[in-house]
Amino acid sequence: MDRDKELRRAGWRLMASTVRPQRRWVISGVMAGAVWTTAKIAIPAFAGAAIDNGIIPGDGNVIAKYAVLILFVGVVQAAGTALRRYSAFRISYRAETDLRQRLFAHLQRLHFAFHDHAQTGQLMARANSDIQQVNQVVIMLPLTISNILILIGAVTVMLLKSVTLALLALGAMPLLAYFATRFSHQIAPVSLELQQELGDLSGVVEESIAGVRVVKGFGAERRQTRRLNIEADSVLDRALVAARMRSNFLPLVDFLPALALVAILWYGGHLVLDGELQIGDLVQFNSYILMLIWPLRIGGMLVAQSARSAAAAGRVSEILETDNAVSDPAHPKPLPRDGTGELRFEGVRFAYTSGQPVLDGFDLVVRGGEAVAIVGPTGSGKTTVARLLPRFYDVSEGRVLVDGVDVRDVGVHELRRSIGIVFEETFLFSDTVAENIAFAIPDAPMDVVRQAARLAGADEFIVELPDQYDTVIGEQGYSLSGGQRQRVAIARAVLADPRVLILDDATSSVDPTKEHEIRTALQQVMQGRTTLIIAHRAATIALADRVVLLDEGRIVAEGTHQDLLASSELYRKVLAQTATGHGAPTPMSESAP
Amino acid sequence: MRGGGGGGGRSSGFGMVVDESLSRREAERVLKRLWRMLRPWRMRIVGSSLLIVGQTACLLSGPALVQRGIDDGLRVNDGATLNRYAGAYLLVAVFALIMGRWSIRAVARIGETFLRDLRVRVFQHLVSLGMDFFEREKTGRLVARLTSDVEAMQELVQTGLTMFLQSGLVFVGALIAIFLTSWQLALCTLVVVPPVYFASRWFRRASNRAYLEVRERIGTNLATLQEGLAGVRVVQAFGRERAFTRRFHETNEAQFDANLETAKIATRYFPVVEFSGVVGIAIIIGIGGLFVDEGIIEIGAVAAFVLYLNSLFEPVQQLSQLYNVLQSAGAALHKLFGLLDTKPSIAERPGAIDLPLTGPLEVEGVSFGYGDGPDVLHGVSLTVAPGERIALVGPTGAGKSTLAKLVVRFYDPRAGAVRFAGTDLRDATIQSLRERIVVVPQEGYLFAGTIRENVRVGRAEATDAEVDAALEALGIRDRFSALPEGLETEVRERGSRLSAGERQLVSLARAALADPALLVLDEATSNLDPGTERAVERALEVLTAERTVVVVAHRLSTAARADRIAVIDRGNLEELGTHDELVRREGRYASLWASWTAAQSARAS
Repeated sequence: MDRDKELRRAGWRLMASTVRPQRRWVISGVMAGAVWTTAKIAIPAFAGAAIDNGIIPGDGNVIAKYAVLILFVGVVQAAGTALRRYSAFRISYRAETDLRQRLFAHLQRLHFAFHDHAQTGQLMARANSDIQQVNQVVIMLPLTISNILILIGAVTVMLLKSVTLALLALGAMPLLAYFATRFSHQIAPVSLELQQELGDLSGVVEESIAGVRVVKGFGAERRQTRRLNIEADSVLDRALVAARMRSNFLPLVDFLPALALVAILWYGGHLVLDGELQIGDLVQFNSYILMLIWPLRIGGMLVAQSARSAAAAGRVSEILETDNAVSDPAHPKPLPRDGTGELRFEGVRFAYTSGQPVLDGFDLVVRGGEAVAIVGPTGSGKTTVARLLPRFYDVSEGRVLVDGVDVRDVGVHELRRSIGIVFEETFLFSDTVAENIAFAIPDAPMDVVRQAARLAGADEFIVELPDQYDTVIGEQGYSLSGGQRQRVAIARAVLADPRVLILDDATSSVDPTKEHEIRTALQQVMQGRTTLIIAHRAATIALADRVVLLDEGRIVAEGTHQDLLASSELYRKVLAQTATGHGAPTPMSESAP
Repeated sequence: MRGGGGGGGRSSGFGMVVDESLSRREAERVLKRLWRMLRPWRMRIVGSSLLIVGQTACLLSGPALVQRGIDDGLRVNDGATLNRYAGAYLLVAVFALIMGRWSIRAVARIGETFLRDLRVRVFQHLVSLGMDFFEREKTGRLVARLTSDVEAMQELVQTGLTMFLQSGLVFVGALIAIFLTSWQLALCTLVVVPPVYFASRWFRRASNRAYLEVRERIGTNLATLQEGLAGVRVVQAFGRERAFTRRFHETNEAQFDANLETAKIATRYFPVVEFSGVVGIAIIIGIGGLFVDEGIIEIGAVAAFVLYLNSLFEPVQQLSQLYNVLQSAGAALHKLFGLLDTKPSIAERPGAIDLPLTGPLEVEGVSFGYGDGPDVLHGVSLTVAPGERIALVGPTGAGKSTLAKLVVRFYDPRAGAVRFAGTDLRDATIQSLRERIVVVPQEGYLFAGTIRENVRVGRAEATDAEVDAALEALGIRDRFSALPEGLETEVRERGSRLSAGERQLVSLARAALADPALLVLDEATSNLDPGTERAVERALEVLTAERTVVVVAHRLSTAARADRIAVIDRGNLEELGTHDELVRREGRYASLWASWTAAQSARAS
């Protein structure tokens, strides 16, 4: 409960800070709203006055005067409504856009550990639906202020005319705001549930279509139809609950003002009979009541909405207030210009979650230009070693040095520029091949791009693509095979000519029949660079000058591939696990049992 | 890569707003068909329409009662009459409240049950369609049919229909009321309606266009956002955070611009509507005042006109808005009807018979091509004896997978026939066909639900014990039982926890549960994690024992293990024989084999 309150408070702060730069539009919106409000209140007043002073006495001049006056005020009202709406929209769209930009910029910088815990879908929800929720309150800001003015204005005028009639007429109106708030509170969770049920339903549809081969192959059409039936029933159920709530609320929107109108007619009528009021006053009262319906209704809903919006803004604010754990040092040291890429891990300890160390006293020196393979069973920490080098994570103890400088003392940008990394899972952007390769240096000349592609053995298939280097790839573009993607990723890593290259299981998704092509490419790109190879295939390990065997966060053996094969039982076991998979020397071993 | 959650499918419904408006004839056809479909609801529709009419009549009589109260009560100093009218107003307000409540419920029940039936009906039809349909259509678009297209009608059902009827009634009612009160003043007042109508029409069109643009830009912006988040590690590894933030800035601002455009349109429209309303009041006061002076109308009439003015304006605005909703619902229905009219390409023939329990598979002179395309199989003939294992080998696109699809009757051949135990598959009942012949696809596909439920897809009526037995037989029961929640582990929620190999195992268990006579295997091209690869192989051994097996082989090691090998190239059966025979023949298979073994030994060195 306290957390919720804290969240909402942070949300309000964030909303305020987002709207603050647009003070001018807020002021213009509120002023336009005030003008609009005044005009809106004035018109019924003039109409009432026209009836009492013009029509009843039968004075044509007065009637004409009021008619013209009403028209003039109408022009003011129209101008007011234009500016009021424009300001409101502008403020809210600006706020939405700015907030999303801030969020994106922040997320782009946040450290890996944050992204490990957050799911893309959730972050998308923050940037999308949560910000829209915020928007729903921001857009109402000028209108709400105007509405409060209307309310005050109309109520004041009514009270001035007749206190008792005003109280009687207005008696039912606060109920409208109350019911609107209650309705909004009630229906929000049901709408959410309905959305979820609709999501489940679309899940059944999606999996049935995506898995249509299985559905048809096993004749499971009836099973899936049954499941859809269940989901469709839940949707129906929620929709009917929501309808019931609407049916309890919406007719009240007509009923409560009608009560007020009845009161005006009856009590006000008697006041007129007693000579305390004029007929025109009654008409005016009626108009005010009608005018108050929307502000009260919207006001009530806004009360409910603002709690949700504040919570949504709070969630966004939580992310914005998450500090980047990996940031530039106050006084960054440069890497030595003539460095050879010597790597040094000294007594490194690291844990993703405290109490479960992944690296536990890891020591390793890699000479400049040397290629070292890190091998170990699953969970031994081999990928972690590679991740500490470009400071995707910081060590909890010990230190990591590149060319004698602690990585934490180097500017993050410079450090990462000097390290090329090929990830286990290749991520390519929806861009052209050339842009993907030139990722680190977008304005790299074309011959540099091609050179990198050639080194990575990618040029040969790229020139066969429909638009060669201009072919758009990635999720929305031309789909490359796993091996092709990996080669583009390798080209991307070497384009910036890094002094250190990290190959994190870079050949894992390559079709075994294509593996030798990549190996040749890798041999080329590794020349003259320090290379860390994380691998479990013998063929890839063979690229390294030296192999270190990692187990439970520390090095347990090192030497050449042959040495370790001869001396280490664990090494043989790690490799054997892989060998049954793809390294099978002859087809016979696959059909063995 | 498909089938990740519900979001993707629904967002593709973004595009379907109103640019796909129907022609008048199409609209008429859609309406007629809808009315036929609504037959079971017709009585309820009539009933709830009466409720809506009643409620609207009550709401409309309010201003009339106020007017009578003023004219017959106040003007003549008759307090009792005044009380009567006030009482009557209170009464109709209560009636309106009650009828309003029931009409909303009744309309919702009609609409929502209709939508539910529509969903089930469309889905049922969808899954009955042939594979050709699914290979032609994109998943996202089909999902949109059942989600966004049906949801496009939801708004109509929830509020639209009632509002449509009500707004129409209010407008007509108010019109009648003002004409009855004073036709002269009514004519004068109505001058302001055309501008509102035309402005609303303009607004509708302009804002549709603008919102279409907004949706498109939202889509682009979300795509940039999604990519920036999914690729954040690469972005950081290459120090490109700032450039990506700039890139997002562009799409983000583009979305802002499109949004602002809609604001500008609204900014132009609403002043016109509000001003027209004020002009109406000015006319009522100015001209109405003169009429009172002339004795044509009474003062009460002027008061009533001011109140009725609202009843004329709001419906015009609402109806013009509703038009959008109607349009998109119509377009959605049109698409749904189109889907319902698609005939399944693979249907059960009348008088179809059950396939015999077991027997040889005969492929005889089979030719086939997709859609109107050229043949991709040319007169392929092949007989597989019961219990025999045959491997289909050949380059990508040679036609081996197509042949496999014909064997399980995902498609029917253009010429020739596929027979199982002497019965043409086209003469067999679909049910018996799916029981005897089962295909295990390349990648283990999982449905939402537990592991147990996923295995049970193989045979829906199987008991828990039978599921256990199937897993046990493949030697993988312990592997899944060892999970914290055992066989009750939800696979989608922790989808990532089940590796590709484990998914494959579930898929094999499904086939084991189905216990077919003929098994068609599409071998996976990608590698599995070393740990499960062996388990998959062992399970496959068990599963394929004592069954007729057709395997689409991507690795020659698999082919080498088969009893016979069929080499297919460019749609022709090129070679057929045992591994040894084909190697000796020194034909196509022999050369494939030679280059493959060479590559293998190179890797081993």
